[in-house]
Amino acid sequence: MSEVEEMLKRIQGHKGVIGIIVVNSEGIPIRTTLDNSTTVQYAGLIHNLSNKARSVVRDIDPQNDLTFLRIRSKKHEIMVAPDKEYILICIQNPSDN
Amino acid sequence: MADRKAELERKKARLAQIREEKKRKEEERKRREAEEAAKASKKGPDPSEIERKRIETEQLLKDIGIEEQKRAQAAVPSMVAAEPPGVTQKKAPPSADDRPLPTLARKSLKLSLTDTSVINIPPREKVAYSKETQTIVEVQEKEESEEEIEPPPEVVEPPPDKKEEEEKEEEAQRPRELTEEEKQQIVLSDDFQTFINNTSRVMERALAEDMDIFYDYGGQDLEEREGPEAGAKMSLQRQFNDERWSRYRTVTHLDWSAQYPELLVASYNNNEESPNEPDGVCLVWNMKFKKTTPEYIFHCQSAVMAATYAKFHPNLVVGGTYSGQIVLWDNRSNKRTPVQRTPLSAAAHTHPVYCVDVIGTQNAHNLITVSTDGKMCSWSLDMLSNPQESMELQHKQSKAVAVTCMSFPPNDVNNFVVGSEEMAVYTGCRHGSKAGINEIFEGHQGPVTSIDCHPATGQVDFSHLFLTSSFDWTVKLWSVKHQRPLYSFEDNSDYVYDARWSPIHPAVFATGDGMGRLDVWNLNNDSEVPTASVTLDMQPAINRVRWHSSGHQVACGDADGKVWIYDIGEQIAVPRTDEWQKFVRTLSDMRANMVDSQDEGGLSSGRTSMSSSPLR
Repeated sequence: MSEVEEMLKRIQGHKGVIGIIVVNSEGIPIRTTLDNSTTVQYAGLIHNLSNKARSVVRDIDPQNDLTFLRIRSKKHEIMVAPDKEYILICIQNPSDN
Repeated sequence: MADRKAELERKKARLAQIREEKKRKEEERKRREAEEAAKASKKGPDPSEIERKRIETEQLLKDIGIEEQKRAQAAVPSMVAAEPPGVTQKKAPPSADDRPLPTLARKSLKLSLTDTSVINIPPREKVAYSKETQTIVEVQEKEESEEEIEPPPEVVEPPPDKKEEEEKEEEAQRPRELTEEEKQQIVLSDDFQTFINNTSRVMERALAEDMDIFYDYGGQDLEEREGPEAGAKMSLQRQFNDERWSRYRTVTHLDWSAQYPELLVASYNNNEESPNEPDGVCLVWNMKFKKTTPEYIFHCQSAVMAATYAKFHPNLVVGGTYSGQIVLWDNRSNKRTPVQRTPLSAAAHTHPVYCVDVIGTQNAHNLITVSTDGKMCSWSLDMLSNPQESMELQHKQSKAVAVTCMSFPPNDVNNFVVGSEEMAVYTGCRHGSKAGINEIFEGHQGPVTSIDCHPATGQVDFSHLFLTSSFDWTVKLWSVKHQRPLYSFEDNSDYVYDARWSPIHPAVFATGDGMGRLDVWNLNNDSEVPTASVTLDMQPAINRVRWHSSGHQVACGDADGKVWIYDIGEQIAVPRTDEWQKFVRTLSDMRANMVDSQDEGGLSSGRTSMSSSPLR
């Protein structure tokens, strides 16, 4: 098992985690634990959102940068860890925690 | 010559003829256009100011007699336009070959004219561009993140002011799918490894954070709150283990980070159940976050028998292995394997290394390692290729000391104490005329498992004291001033693997034994039985015990690869101001008792060691 798979498995092993998606800077999914259509939807939308969020942060202060993004909804919590080239998306069910 | 002249003449005539013809055509066209323009200006009031002005200018120019062709060329640049007469005439006679020249002239003219055309009629240009350009989806984001390699193949860049509206149109463009191979390639890239390493750690912390931000104090869930019994002497706070990396591996060593008090490094022995996994493992655990997985995973080929943080470098972890190699891991590198290791040569260790310690100060410190053949090496952390010094620890110049544990008194880099497999404890020096083993302390009936000098922070200096634990089921308190133990603690009924002083309380220490019993002793309180005691679930043998620098927590590592963190109750952990004086009194009582028992033992023909530490 490669380190990447191990990491993803570890995160997936947390209570309440529904799925993990890794996308590249173009919004194309690289690794996922969800089905294809859900993955593509999340990847596209979250990618846009995180880009937007990043530009908000940078517009306010050009020295600043986005490091983490949490979206809390009634049903889920979407956590986004953006990096230079990739984005890690984790969807969890906070009530299960 | 005559021929040539004639030919020239002929050509000139032909040229003139052609010119004539063209001029005629041109004039005709001119007329037509003028008519059209007039018609247009009559019909609509606004064929635009510029159009009208242009015609006017042309008229003017024509009057002066120059350049009516220019306009024609501008309007129909692709057409093979007539050469401006001025230019041709100037050039044709001297060069004498006329055919290629006009084209040349035209070419250069065309270049300069394109410029003016752009400036002349911007609105028309704009329409054409916006129809034809395809911007890549997020031009702006890409520029911001200052990378991304694939440039779109020769797309005409639109003027920058139009980017935004373009983007909206391009939104619809679907990103292409990546193939499995491409994905694999990305996954294996260094960038991706770094990314996944960092973000997965962050994500896990975020996931494990169980703070309920929607907590409602007005609601009913208030009753369920109330922490664990506050008065408890010892309570389990955390337990760390990892299915893959720590199961079936004995915890061989524990060390808290000096810079980040929440980090704990634990080293593990090999796992006999899975020969394919690396033998040696080191895990860094984090107390700060609720996540239950290791912060860092390090491994190497040989079982790690001892590990320590490199005290003054928060990133480095040093490990002593069963093979004798000293390995160094760096958490700044992406790799889990050591970034540096010592050679396996006679100059360094060739026997298992159980003692690894960093001593000295921020600016002058050394790594001290001792292997079981009695070899002691001191290293510079920058260079592990060769030990700076090495020394054989021998008792009476003959017998090598099989060192199992080592301890330096606080703020001392020269003197040290070591415990050995042959049941004796020795003091030694690193430098000076007495370098090597000096004195022998006998009293234990089994191999010594741990040794710890008193940390001695407070009003009285107790740095001459040290504690040892042994396979003979006892823990003994010694002073370097006496070669007999001051006291023997005999409350355990199994091997005692570790005994450690509290970092803040002068009279408190913790011990762990083979039945999973973790004891905390307060000598000012009672020296016969531990003040607090707890037995781990499933009773695994406790191999290592380490106090947190705050003195309020004890970490213990067991034989099954679990690390347990126990909170020590306030009333035990925190010293009162009179504890130091009380401990002085306790010690003098102990010394008096020791003298008594020695006197008795002296009568019964040298069986002192038995009388002072009877094996049950």
